[in-house]
Amino acid sequence: MASSHGNSHSEAAKSEQIITEFFAKGLQIILESRSPYMSSRNYSGEQALSSPSSSSSSSSSVRPRDKWFNLALRECPAALENIDLWRQSNLEPMVVDVILVQSPLESDQVNFSPKKDHFRNLSLKERYPFCSNSDQEEFGFEGKSEKIIERWVVQYESRKIRDGSSSGSRRSSNTSLHMFYKKSVLLLRSLYVTVRLLPAYKIYRELNSSGKILPFSLAHRVSSFVEPFTRREEAELQRFGFTPVDTPCGRLCLSVFYCSSLSDVSSEPSTPMSPQVIHDYVGSPLADPLKRFPSLPVTGSASHGSPSSSPFVRRHSWSYDIYRASPPSASYSPSPTHSEAQALISNPGSRRFPPGSLPPHPPETSLVHKKDTSFDEYCPSPIFSLSPSPSPSPSPPIRIPGSQLSKAFLRSESAPVNIPAAKLANSPTLSNKQNVPPSPPLKTTRSSTSRTDKNVGLIQTGTASDKSFSLLKEENRQYSGLKISSNSSPRISFSRSSSRSFPDDLDDSEFACPFDVDYDDVTNPSSRTESFERKEPLCEPLDFPIRKSQEAAVGALVQMLRKAPPLCQDFSNSVSLLPASRPETWSKSIQEPDQTSEGLAPVQHVASSSVMSSGLSMPKTTADALEELQGYRVMKNLLLKQGGKSHI
Amino acid sequence: MNCEVCQLKELEVEHFEIREVLRCILHTIVFHRALGLVRPKDVDLELFEITYVQCGDSELEKKIDEKIEQFISWVEKHPNKKSQICLSFYEVKNKQPSWFSSKIERLHWEQWYINLNVSQQARAHSSKSHHAKVVVDPGEGTLEERSVRRAALEASLREVLFQIIKFVNEKKDHVPPIPNREGVVSFPYEITIPSSSDSAFGMDMFKRMLHHSGNPGMLS
Repeated sequence: MASSHGNSHSEAAKSEQIITEFFAKGLQIILESRSPYMSSRNYSGEQALSSPSSSSSSSSSVRPRDKWFNLALRECPAALENIDLWRQSNLEPMVVDVILVQSPLESDQVNFSPKKDHFRNLSLKERYPFCSNSDQEEFGFEGKSEKIIERWVVQYESRKIRDGSSSGSRRSSNTSLHMFYKKSVLLLRSLYVTVRLLPAYKIYRELNSSGKILPFSLAHRVSSFVEPFTRREEAELQRFGFTPVDTPCGRLCLSVFYCSSLSDVSSEPSTPMSPQVIHDYVGSPLADPLKRFPSLPVTGSASHGSPSSSPFVRRHSWSYDIYRASPPSASYSPSPTHSEAQALISNPGSRRFPPGSLPPHPPETSLVHKKDTSFDEYCPSPIFSLSPSPSPSPSPPIRIPGSQLSKAFLRSESAPVNIPAAKLANSPTLSNKQNVPPSPPLKTTRSSTSRTDKNVGLIQTGTASDKSFSLLKEENRQYSGLKISSNSSPRISFSRSSSRSFPDDLDDSEFACPFDVDYDDVTNPSSRTESFERKEPLCEPLDFPIRKSQEAAVGALVQMLRKAPPLCQDFSNSVSLLPASRPETWSKSIQEPDQTSEGLAPVQHVASSSVMSSGLSMPKTTADALEELQGYRVMKNLLLKQGGKSHI
Repeated sequence: MNCEVCQLKELEVEHFEIREVLRCILHTIVFHRALGLVRPKDVDLELFEITYVQCGDSELEKKIDEKIEQFISWVEKHPNKKSQICLSFYEVKNKQPSWFSSKIERLHWEQWYINLNVSQQARAHSSKSHHAKVVVDPGEGTLEERSVRRAALEASLREVLFQIIKFVNEKKDHVPPIPNREGVVSFPYEITIPSSSDSAFGMDMFKRMLHHSGNPGMLS
């Protein structure tokens, strides 16, 4: 370590090199965790894994760069680009602004999704420019707002006095070079940690988490001069100053101004997104009915434990395909598949038997009803329709209501209908009564159906559907079996609907049981079929005794009829039709998974229109539901009695 | 060589939070002291919206996890106690053989004290399931309370992390020169938890007493 001019010169050069590399490394650390597009592109999946593979695998330049400050970082092209520019600037300060770019928040969700698409396309296209200087201007959609949320300032302050007067301190300057290097290593370590603790990192993470398209983004600008903040900006920013590191002839300063209230900023733009996440649940046909009776979810969990509620929820989150593959929850699942399937079937079905009933309906009724439904059930629907989620149909807005309606229609036609049909045949007056306004369209349909079918109604329904749907034998069996079972053991369907809406009554152990059983059945179609098949012979006789018996039963039935449709609509109790529809769905989905939605869409429309014309019931209030429940209770008792008798 | 000591702000944690909190703090400290070639690994906490950095050394990870497990079992045996975990860095000096047996002396140059106050309420249920990676606690108290508490802890944890950063920034002179050797974790370190201190004799204990006579919590 002989003192020589050359040596000191080389020390200065080394020092300068360290400084330069420090700037580069610092910039890389900052941008690596602030420029989402670059890093997500290269590393999105790798974040969880150790980064080494990526950095080592990438380019030749990585290795030596990694050794600097013993910190191996991921490749960050944005940083490299900028640092090259900066290198020419001769140790000028480096100012890195991190900018939050927000696209305007739309209250109108409908406009939102196309915008987002646009946004995404743009950002994909312009990834590169986006990451270099000031290119956020190229983000050409109107109304975007930019806000500096972080400003990093890396600065080298040289002390020129010292520079010249160093002969005595040569040795110390050599050690100080080591000290300098060590300290800069430490400084960069803490920079690395700090960058991840600041609020902006949350935004980066959100942006970087795969699959999400957010109405905001991060941009950055690297410059060598400090553009002063406005007062307002200044008020929002906090400063964190890292302790400067002494260099042999100066010191390195690093500080950051950051927006501490960023959580507001980020939550603000993300608000529109949260419905997007949830909308799958909310907007889907079956989740909504639940919403209507707030007590429902509680009920389910309270009385039945998890089975009723939790699978319900989970199914929602399943992907379309998975969902399809899982036969179970036809009636409960909110997935569009079902509604479609139902629509498919309901369409021919509705054309087939209730055609006569369609005309009598005053158009307004159905219209009004339609409105109601859509309002009630689909308030969140705009979101729903916009969802980028695996919702199968390409024409969501129309489809959803349609399918929903058709579903409701089907449901009303199903289990509950069959029983009334029989009853009604005996009491035409009552059936007429049901056409009265208060109990809207469905009843009419139903009663008309019953009229058409008369006593044979049940069977005919079954055969009709057989023909029209040309189901497989199995399906037929399932279908008829189910139908009959629903007749024979109305308990199941009734208890289900009532129990769902009214928690208190669920305490009845009898009720809970069938309910649960039913669920089980639903989840396992094959077993279901079997069980129903087995029941078939038993059940049929059961039905008729009931019908023939007391007037009270008729009364109860009427009452039930009056109230039933909405309930069914809400709670998807259509036991009989669903199973029939299900197989079709399956086969469809298996054979042509991709086309399913398109193929079904038109049918849905038809179905929905027919349903609309046939109309639906008004939305129910809790009071209604209570009343209804009472009716069902009476029914239940009656039927139980009957069942017991007939068994004996 | 002087030994710098950093007492970290006490955190009030529930039992099920111990693991994450400790991991986060310990790794953050070690990352600042691992001056070998490091390939940083970001880790997102599951309970908190915090990302901390590991230095990607599996040995280290293992050791830290082990210590945390030990600590947790200690906590279970000593419920509702304030407890301390000490992470210390030292240099090994070959000493002249003397009457005091050991030839190797540990020269501690830095000690970090992590102070935890494990609240008892959560202990009962979480102890059952502490083997799970992160136990989502079945809460007592309302959801709101819990989320408030959780948020408070997250803020405190963040504070602690910044405390570490500040300490690292302010005190750099005592850190030994970067050794020229392979390995991520450049300095020898040890993690001391109450249970080991209960039974520990010798230099370790003695040193700790010397350094921290004012820390009764450690020795209680």
